[in-house]
Amino acid sequence: MSRRILIIDDEDDIRQVAALSLETVAGWDVIVASSGAQGLLRAAEHQPDAILLDVMMPGMDGPTTFRELRKNPATAKIPVLLLTAKVQGPDQRRFADLGVEAVLLKPFDPLTLSAQMEKILGWA
Amino acid sequence: MATNPPSSTPSIADALNRLWIRFLPEIEDRIAIIDTAAKALANGVLTNEEREAAHSAAHKLSGTLGTFGLNHGTELARKAELEFEKQSPSVAPAELTTWISELSLLVRNRQ
Repeated sequence: MSRRILIIDDEDDIRQVAALSLETVAGWDVIVASSGAQGLLRAAEHQPDAILLDVMMPGMDGPTTFRELRKNPATAKIPVLLLTAKVQGPDQRRFADLGVEAVLLKPFDPLTLSAQMEKILGWA
Repeated sequence: MATNPPSSTPSIADALNRLWIRFLPEIEDRIAIIDTAAKALANGVLTNEEREAAHSAAHKLSGTLGTFGLNHGTELARKAELEFEKQSPSVAPAELTTWISELSLLVRNRQ
């Protein structure tokens, strides 16, 4: 089944590899945003089935973006998966406590990212 | 430890290789930022600005390199990230230099 995913990440390389992975491996439609503020607009406009959200971004970081998504009725119910290179336990617990669907670690495997998302989101 | 690009269908492998070539200058710039900070640390003149820049560059590398199949590169970058996260990095400068040399070699040798 085709899905629409929004990737919010300030790093161009990660954004493009993730988009390539989800488009090529899973055949999903991908929308990208390079900042939290842009991500909020794209999420409301495109109503993606899920959002991949980077944690560390300049300006509005991932957790703040997530809270803003939840405040807006138009985006409040969109599942969000955080993407982070922070591998230490306390960081991951803190992110998980925000109420996101899952915390995915960077680096991710481009070949299995979509399968990992499907499993987490119950799409498998 | 895998140090090769992910094996995959030709289409995604080729596309990943194209992205690698496109982003290689940025990746090399990040290594250069860490190298500059490492040299400053070795000479006892590391500024907070250089340390923060090295921390950010190492963090980005740790998230990126494994995605392109360089998992050992991610490990090396992560070690550098943890050191530059500290106000006063405690790693021996020679060890840091070794990590950076390994990183550069891994990146240079990726096909």
